[in-house]
Amino acid sequence: MHLFIQKIKKNRIAYYLIIPALICMILVHILPMLWGFIISFSDLDLYTISDWSKAPFIGIGNYLEGLDINSPTGGRFLRSLWNITYYGIAVISIGYFIGLGVALILNQEFIGRTIVRGLILLPYIIPDSVAYSVWRFMFQARIGIVNKYLLSWGLISETKVWLVGDKSIYAVMVASIWKGWPFTCLILLAGLQTIPFELYDAAKIDGASIWQQFRYITFPLLMPITSVLLLLSTLWNFNAFNQFYVMLGDDPGVAAEVPSTLILREAFNSFHYGIGAAMSVILMAIMLIFSILYIKKIRPGEVEH
Amino acid sequence: MLKKIILLVLVVFFLYAGMAWAQETIVFWAMPNAPDESHLSWLEKAAADFKAKTGITVNYEIVGWGDAWSKISMSLIEPICDVSQVGTTWNPQFAATSGLEQIDINGFGGADSFMAANLESTTYKDNYYGIPWFAETRCLFYNKDMFEEAGAVPPTTWGELVLAGEKINSKFGTGRAFAMAGTNAWDLLHNWAILLWQSGGDLLSADHKKATFNSGAGITAMQWYVDLVKRGLADQACAEYNQPQADSAFINGNVAMCYMGPWNIANIESENPTLNYGIVEPPKGPVGKGSFSGGSNLVVFANSKHKEAAKAWVNYLIEKQVLVDYTKNLTHMLPAKIEAFEDPYYNTGVWKVFKETLSYATAYPPLGVWGDIENAVVSEFKNILSTYVNGKYTEGTAKEYLDLAAAAVDRALAKEK
Repeated sequence: MHLFIQKIKKNRIAYYLIIPALICMILVHILPMLWGFIISFSDLDLYTISDWSKAPFIGIGNYLEGLDINSPTGGRFLRSLWNITYYGIAVISIGYFIGLGVALILNQEFIGRTIVRGLILLPYIIPDSVAYSVWRFMFQARIGIVNKYLLSWGLISETKVWLVGDKSIYAVMVASIWKGWPFTCLILLAGLQTIPFELYDAAKIDGASIWQQFRYITFPLLMPITSVLLLLSTLWNFNAFNQFYVMLGDDPGVAAEVPSTLILREAFNSFHYGIGAAMSVILMAIMLIFSILYIKKIRPGEVEH
Repeated sequence: MLKKIILLVLVVFFLYAGMAWAQETIVFWAMPNAPDESHLSWLEKAAADFKAKTGITVNYEIVGWGDAWSKISMSLIEPICDVSQVGTTWNPQFAATSGLEQIDINGFGGADSFMAANLESTTYKDNYYGIPWFAETRCLFYNKDMFEEAGAVPPTTWGELVLAGEKINSKFGTGRAFAMAGTNAWDLLHNWAILLWQSGGDLLSADHKKATFNSGAGITAMQWYVDLVKRGLADQACAEYNQPQADSAFINGNVAMCYMGPWNIANIESENPTLNYGIVEPPKGPVGKGSFSGGSNLVVFANSKHKEAAKAWVNYLIEKQVLVDYTKNLTHMLPAKIEAFEDPYYNTGVWKVFKETLSYATAYPPLGVWGDIENAVVSEFKNILSTYVNGKYTEGTAKEYLDLAAAAVDRALAKEK
């Protein structure tokens, strides 16, 4: 204890400096989260919203409802968890392979490489609302460019409605992959540039083919950065909201419902704050697992080399 | 000398503070009922006139419909606004939160002064929590040029609508007859409820304890809506439309018919002033006429510190001349106050049609859980349209999803206090 106090005294200035950030963190993050956690155990709704402290305490009732596949909200929430997992696996894996492919090309010397590197970042830096609005226009059934090209190439025989029903999640996936892969590419490119050339030279002397060089040098040495990237992408994708909200509206339908849109609707459109908070806590718990894995991964001294 | 200066400064300060104290200021939120430029200049003029009469300053703000629900919800808890416009279907829900001031309707001209359906929308548990401001209802807009070219006549029944639609389709191509809202429309229910009432059905039982829209009439109404696409009268793309997309398909002259409201007239005037269109009452269904009564009310927040000033502003806004000016010259809505209809303008042209349609229009039941009810029906309605788009729509689809919606509505009704 004495040692602990001494340590604090020694780093006094550092503690003073982080106090403002800490206060902001408590006010902006911790308190709302705590409040959300508390109301997840209450039946806070339309009738109690003007004085939330009077909302009846119902224990884990909201959690049971949120996880009950037979209740309408629970069924929809579980489906939304499945949808976001399915969406995440597709978007992350396809985005990873596109990003890796382009990073491998950009890692080669060629004229105009710097310009191309800058250009590929365009989708990533365009604001979500703009990018997904454009994708929404492109996927529109009657005037959308997607249907126009698919028809002219003979891939479909009549216009398809992409933004309604089972196909809608695929429309969002395409837009998300387009928006997300440049970041993956940028990170993997940075990873590729840390791989010493000597390894490739040695491999070439040993007669390794291009594929063998990739299989035994590039890919294994990209693994540490890949795992951090995958964890980060998983966290971001589990939270996905903008793309679904902009492209499909506040109710994307059963086939494309994700937790964020459902929570928004339940809590803020229908005044079911209690169940909305409970679903948020469940989502947070799932993401906490990924966050712990991520923190373990990036902790100094534990990164694999 | 110094003492005198200090005294003078203090006197000026207290006089100024006293004046500021006497000048009451209220915050008023309105939705974009007209293009912002003309709306803001109208509000500026009205606020100046009101201030000249009462000394009360009105700080007005135009709040988009998209943000309005959450902003008003916030204002129920924190005193950030004194008086606001709310959609008629929102009024009872906000009243149920105890966040709205209960209104003595006699202080606003009495119950008989207002259109009955609009007045009903201000009630919750038989008390008033708002004052009707303006009314709206939806009628069938039709493109006169397209009708003439196709040799069609404006429909007065569902059957005639199909006949006219088929003629238009054969002249202009599939999907050109009708535009309707689909899964992205927040107001999907408003269009369907008209068909339900025309089929002899109702949303809830008379005692508001049970959903009744999954009856035979409900299935007929839903089947009719989906059939408009199945028959090719409406384009398949309508399944993804919101209401403004459906409106613009008509306003651009691409489609011959659409259910729209008086507010669309301003859009036509600005977007396509040469559009040659007419308006007829919603075509009768198998049982008879039916139309939806909507519009907006004015509410005073219970946490307002300037309730009397806010009520004075409401009284100003519903004064006959002010209201007629706001509805006739600016928003093209219909006044919710009966005396305003004395203006000869409402007996001419399309306004006569709107006025007539409003006379038999139905409002939604004034329930605190109305939001849940509307969400449940709209959600399953979207599922029906999705099922159609997925190619899995069968004869039993409408019944299957309407039953699910009815079960959800019954659960919501059980929570009504």
